[in-house]
Amino acid sequence: MSDSGEHIIPNNSFFTFCETAQRISGARGTLWKRKIFREYITQLECDSDIALAARFIGEGAFSSVSGKRASVGHRTVAVTASEFCEIDYDLVFKPCRTALGSASEAIQKLMANLPVAVEKRSPEYPALDEIEQWYIALANARKRDDKTELLADFFRKLTPIEIKYFIRVMGQGSLRIGFEALSIINSLADAYDKDSEKVRYTHMITGSLEKTAVLCKQDKLDDASFRMFQPLSFMLASPIESSEVEDITRYIAEEKFDGMRCQLHADGEKIALFSRDLNEITQSFPDISSEFSEKNLNQCVLDGEICVYVDQKIQPFQLLQKRMGLKKPSKKILSTHPVVFIGYDVLYANGESQLEKTLTERRSQLKALSDHHRILISSQMHLTENDDVETLFNQALDNGNEGLVLKLKSSTYEYGQRKKSWLKVKKPGGSIDTIMMYAHAGSGKRGGTYSDFTLGVSVKDDPRYNETFIPIGKAYGGYTDDELKKLNREIKKLTVERFGPTLSLKPGIVVEIEFDDIQVNKRTKAGYTLRFPRFRAIRWDLSPDDTDSLKDVEALFEARLRRNAVRQNGEKSVLFPESSEAG
Amino acid sequence: MLDYKLSGYHGIILSKADVGLDVGGPVASHVFISHAHADHLPRDRKMTVYASEATEALMRCRGFKGDVITRPFFEPLELPNCRVTLYPAGHILGSAMIYVETDTESVLYSGDYKSPPSPVSEGFSLPEQADYFITEATFPLPVYKWKPQDELFAEIRDFAKSALDEGATPVFLCYNLGKAQEVMHGLSPLGEKIQIHGAGFPLCEVYSKFGYDIGDYEKYNRETVKDRRILVCPSSSLEQPMIRNIRKKRIAYVSGWATHEARRSQLTIDKLVPLSDHIDFFELLEVCKKLSPKHVYITHTPNPDVVNHYLNELGISSSALNLEAVDNE
Repeated sequence: MSDSGEHIIPNNSFFTFCETAQRISGARGTLWKRKIFREYITQLECDSDIALAARFIGEGAFSSVSGKRASVGHRTVAVTASEFCEIDYDLVFKPCRTALGSASEAIQKLMANLPVAVEKRSPEYPALDEIEQWYIALANARKRDDKTELLADFFRKLTPIEIKYFIRVMGQGSLRIGFEALSIINSLADAYDKDSEKVRYTHMITGSLEKTAVLCKQDKLDDASFRMFQPLSFMLASPIESSEVEDITRYIAEEKFDGMRCQLHADGEKIALFSRDLNEITQSFPDISSEFSEKNLNQCVLDGEICVYVDQKIQPFQLLQKRMGLKKPSKKILSTHPVVFIGYDVLYANGESQLEKTLTERRSQLKALSDHHRILISSQMHLTENDDVETLFNQALDNGNEGLVLKLKSSTYEYGQRKKSWLKVKKPGGSIDTIMMYAHAGSGKRGGTYSDFTLGVSVKDDPRYNETFIPIGKAYGGYTDDELKKLNREIKKLTVERFGPTLSLKPGIVVEIEFDDIQVNKRTKAGYTLRFPRFRAIRWDLSPDDTDSLKDVEALFEARLRRNAVRQNGEKSVLFPESSEAG
Repeated sequence: MLDYKLSGYHGIILSKADVGLDVGGPVASHVFISHAHADHLPRDRKMTVYASEATEALMRCRGFKGDVITRPFFEPLELPNCRVTLYPAGHILGSAMIYVETDTESVLYSGDYKSPPSPVSEGFSLPEQADYFITEATFPLPVYKWKPQDELFAEIRDFAKSALDEGATPVFLCYNLGKAQEVMHGLSPLGEKIQIHGAGFPLCEVYSKFGYDIGDYEKYNRETVKDRRILVCPSSSLEQPMIRNIRKKRIAYVSGWATHEARRSQLTIDKLVPLSDHIDFFELLEVCKKLSPKHVYITHTPNPDVVNHYLNELGISSSALNLEAVDNE
């Protein structure tokens, strides 16, 4: 099975980690996966190995809270691997990646199959901590050439399966083995015989799987305590469709701002801001940090939203996007795109954690802070009957916001969306008619049918492109089972090329899709991506000529930019401390 | 260049030789059928065709009513415009490569083939040389390289054995003709009872009649399948009562496409066994080298570009012969 040959592979090797990940990937069902990881991690003795194993399986090369990244692009990895294997990147590598639907899997196979690649590699079976050093070296390398050289050197010292996971871990995303944070946490609880709720809590306040794992091992979960300037995992809202609301009066409603989620830590003049993925973003928003610095708050942590705010109006998300990527915003953009922080929850105040308190209690704490320090906070609306939801939802839209969030008054602050205590009500951002370009075999209960589709818009009269259609997004759901069956029959007739799970299609099927929003994305061919695209209707009545064009998408984007923002005077969506003090 | 016409679903007519290869109807004076998979069989079920002896038997199982003139392997048949010889293709029982010689040129049509051959086929051999080689390329990328068959058979046996030991029914998802019998052959040394999907059963009888060891098998039975049986059935059964009714089971998917890890989540299965009845990318290049043809035509492929690129590097010219995209695994 492994090409470990005569070597005796130690438990703390990266190879053993990779074989474990591969076995987890192959196991059917969460319980088996948990068992495999439990057995693996309990064989590691050293705390630093346990920390690395937990980090690599669930977070990536670097801890999520560290903000560090190896910063090696997908293309750099693929091109380096192609050169290593002495194959043509465009002609050979790309079709391999398309066929398997995974660059790292393609690289693993090419490394194993191609004689030139086999010859160049002499596996050294590095330990987990060596691998960590390799990631640090990659992160420290400034130039792409240096990164490429390092990467090729690492390939030389690894087996194909290690190469695959080395790349996946480096990506800081999911390892795609069906083993995500919650399962990892449960598995750690199993491994060290701990209460899983307690392990979850530890993970929330440390924001770190590796710390959680080590605290489990050392039997020091009680030591995990909140620390200022260390981000906490966020509580998330679930779509309202996914749950039954039994008694609406148990909820309050807040309007959902079209901004960016943010956790604000303040201690006197010291301020730190964290994004939803727990990265520090303080530098990008000096206007917020200086504003809060002046308030000179006692230690506190707020949860809220960053929005661009001009003329007393919350501006569309698209404008905020211009600020999001900037590490050091210029004076100019600070004046054209000023931002505010609108608080809606408090996680720490008065020298104690607020997480276990009810929303109602947290809210009065927040209100007190707001009144005292002039902090913008969201307005809360009471609900007396189910019809209120619709009225308030329409009102939120009139106010230029995205929709509503309903929050259970009695709920504590739980990270993730486990108990569905927060529910979001949103309306689709728009819809377009698209052409079906590729069909992808589905997974899970949709296995065996083509259920995911790449959809395109027309660029046939567009001088910027040579193609007739270019992809605009990928949609997974929104059709009925019968429609899916019919689609699958029609797809067969339109197939021009097939690669395992993916079919390339002749233009023929027109799909009306709806989406939440349009964003600029320079890395795609279209230059835009749609947020949450899904089927609204399969337009059997339309032909490929009826497909909307990229120009239509651009017009929609522009229209959304001009969308009516409403002046926040009086008490609309946001509570202004000034006015509330006066009233 | 070769004088050919495409015909029917994805057959080929060699005009000068007046020979049809896997064509759907009587479109040439002499029609040869490479093997008994549905996508290579004529749609006209009453025409006259040439095929190997085992292919004839399998075609009858699948409802072919016309005349089949059986041809032994390696024995040339003299026709008015050409000479035709069948070479064993190693894909499934009876599978043949069809070698057509005229006064001026020779053509080898591969049908589907595998080298090293399936152990439950007549083997694999090539003619000395061919001017033109028409080859399938179902797996046309360097990510496809098969493990040795013995290793895969050992995996299959280990999987079945450990499932049975746990009191679970091992289920092998594989195509009814060819792959099923190959898996059963691999399982045979275990000496356990095998149940086969109803449509696969008569095909197994043909294998037995031709003397191949495919283990101790019987037709699928709803009642007895739970009594320490190994179940072999096509992946379409996954959603059907045949598999759903078995409470404790371990499912393996056996196919060249099992190379794709994504197949696992697509099918909700326990094990992927990448055992193919097609040639892999590397062997395909080897075969082309051995034949050293003037030109290679690539068919039955999702994408001919990569094979084309590698053949170019070997100094062999090639092009795609655009038949419909197919997949018979």
